Amino acid sequence: MAQEQAIPSIGPAAPEFALPHRPGVIHNVLKFIRRKPLGAVGFFLVFFVIAMTLGTPKAEFGVPELPHSPFGFKLGKPWLAPYDEEQNFKNATGRLNQDAAPSWKHWLGTDSHGRDNWARVVWGARRSLFIGLWALALATAAGTFIGVVSGYFRGWFDTAVQRVLDALQSFPPLLTLILILSIAPFTSQPSLVVAAFALGFVGIPQVQRIVRGVVLSTREQQYVEAARVIGATDARTMTFYILPNIMASIIVVFSTGLGVVILAEAALAFIVPQVVPAEGASWGLDLGEAYRGGVVEHTWEVTSYAGIIALAVLGLNLAGDALRDVLDPRLRLG
Amino acid sequence: MQQYIIRRMLLNGVVLLLVATMVFGALRIDSGQVVNTFAAGCFHAGEDTQQCKDVARNLLGLDESIPKQYVDFMKNTLTLDFGKTFSEKKPVLHEITSRAAPSIELGLLQIVVALLVGVPVGVISAIRQDKWVDYILRFVALFFLGIPVFVIAVFVVLLTTRYAGGTGLDVWLGPGSEWKDIWEDPVKNLERVTGPALVGGLGTGAVLMRFLRSQMLEVMRQDYVRTAWAKGLRERVVIIRHALKNALIPVLTVIGLLLGSVISGNVILETLYNIPGVGFYVTSAALQHDFPVIQGIVLVVAVMLVFINLMVDIAYGWLDPRIRYS
Repeated sequence: MAQEQAIPSIGPAAPEFALPHRPGVIHNVLKFIRRKPLGAVGFFLVFFVIAMTLGTPKAEFGVPELPHSPFGFKLGKPWLAPYDEEQNFKNATGRLNQDAAPSWKHWLGTDSHGRDNWARVVWGARRSLFIGLWALALATAAGTFIGVVSGYFRGWFDTAVQRVLDALQSFPPLLTLILILSIAPFTSQPSLVVAAFALGFVGIPQVQRIVRGVVLSTREQQYVEAARVIGATDARTMTFYILPNIMASIIVVFSTGLGVVILAEAALAFIVPQVVPAEGASWGLDLGEAYRGGVVEHTWEVTSYAGIIALAVLGLNLAGDALRDVLDPRLRLG
Repeated sequence: MQQYIIRRMLLNGVVLLLVATMVFGALRIDSGQVVNTFAAGCFHAGEDTQQCKDVARNLLGLDESIPKQYVDFMKNTLTLDFGKTFSEKKPVLHEITSRAAPSIELGLLQIVVALLVGVPVGVISAIRQDKWVDYILRFVALFFLGIPVFVIAVFVVLLTTRYAGGTGLDVWLGPGSEWKDIWEDPVKNLERVTGPALVGGLGTGAVLMRFLRSQMLEVMRQDYVRTAWAKGLRERVVIIRHALKNALIPVLTVIGLLLGSVISGNVILETLYNIPGVGFYVTSAALQHDFPVIQGIVLVVAVMLVFINLMVDIAYGWLDPRIRYS
């Protein structure tokens, strides 16, 4: 007991009043790298892909459109692209410089039209990433709405909704996509916006299933009960008490889903190129064209596109897993 | 048990009804593209386009009232009559069944590879938890989980055809020249199927392995496993007979769920490796906007999936009595 008594101190202000040293951003980043090295690799790859899409924005405001003005203003030429999207190169004899091996001028070689592979990969990043973001925004918004409402009210409503979505989910997503896009709804031409919506639609069941699971446990918490006791309406309870508390799970769903959506878009463009617009660079389309043209002839083209799809999806998966472990370990599958 | 089976059948019937309704709705939301494709031959003949479209709508039954169309559609679906293909005017069902053999073969081989690899690797990784064997196996699994199967397949084809030409590897792992059915020429057939079956199977096996590993880790901590150890049973008996048997039950449902992704993967792998199966057919039909074919394949796959899921459900209830009564 005697030892626990505070010893009166004499002299200048005691150091115990100082706040504990708060670790800086760099410290936290280093800690994350040490704890989750694979997650750090993933985040590096994700930032790399995001960096590819960046370009000087132009002041052309309007309706958001894929792939070059996803947020309502036009993005200029990507900073990382050394050449224009469709620029093709001639060799010394004046003929198209086709299927060249990597060199200082062309880091990843050239494709069958004499275009620079690296530049095409960078231009194509926009298409993949922004289709993924749009699709996932739709899937997450709709999935969260359905999941929260269904999990909150439970009962027969919940059962009915879950059965409908089970039906959708048990079905191979690729077939659903082909079915939707082969009738090309609302447009006579293939359209990236329709493709993004179709991809988002296919993702709704998965998102809502996870969200509903989290809501089921959250709604039993005391603060939700307290909200009900003070007379909050159902809508208010869902928006201001449940939704903020499941945000971590939603972020995790979003980040783990992005890889899946980007992969689905690439696979779709690869196997059925006619359902997406042919103009512009696209990882899936270009890989498909090169693969069908012959892997031996177009080695560098195939390697470039397959490599970037692999790196992007791997990066998103690793980053998503790490984020899940940190933010919401409940969602861990094993 | 009987009651359980009836309940699952009703549930699966609802699933089937919903998929059929979705297919029905897909065309009715916007049928312009499909009508145009159907009427394409008429356009060339130089007749009045609007008249062509009207004839096409009439032949497709799209000018009826929606409830009547729905009843007709369901009647046709129940009698497995999916109409005729746009391109060659042949019965869709026959076109699908004549291409089923390669797809079923590839799907089954993938599942076999997945089980042969996933189960032992999952068990070893679990019983040697946090040892170097575990780390290596998990890293390899992460590779197959993280990198899409179709990209791996592209790389396998690229490496084998470019650098392993003439060694036999390119014959066994790459897309070969000519397709032979398994009863025509088993060796030639296996040469073509081995590559996609291995790549797809390893992708599925990685999912299986990760799930089995976490199940094993959970089961190994149970009291009855400790009892088995305490009785002095050999390691092999404890792991295989006491732990694995119980860990495999939930894995069964995962196999049921994975079938959907195996079918999706089949579509990609068949296109990549030029295997004339149903997956290849659906992509070529999509290219020609041959809607009856896509619709027919979607419905056939739905029936098949529901049937397999029912089998899995029944097996699950039979293996684990706790499920039946819940």
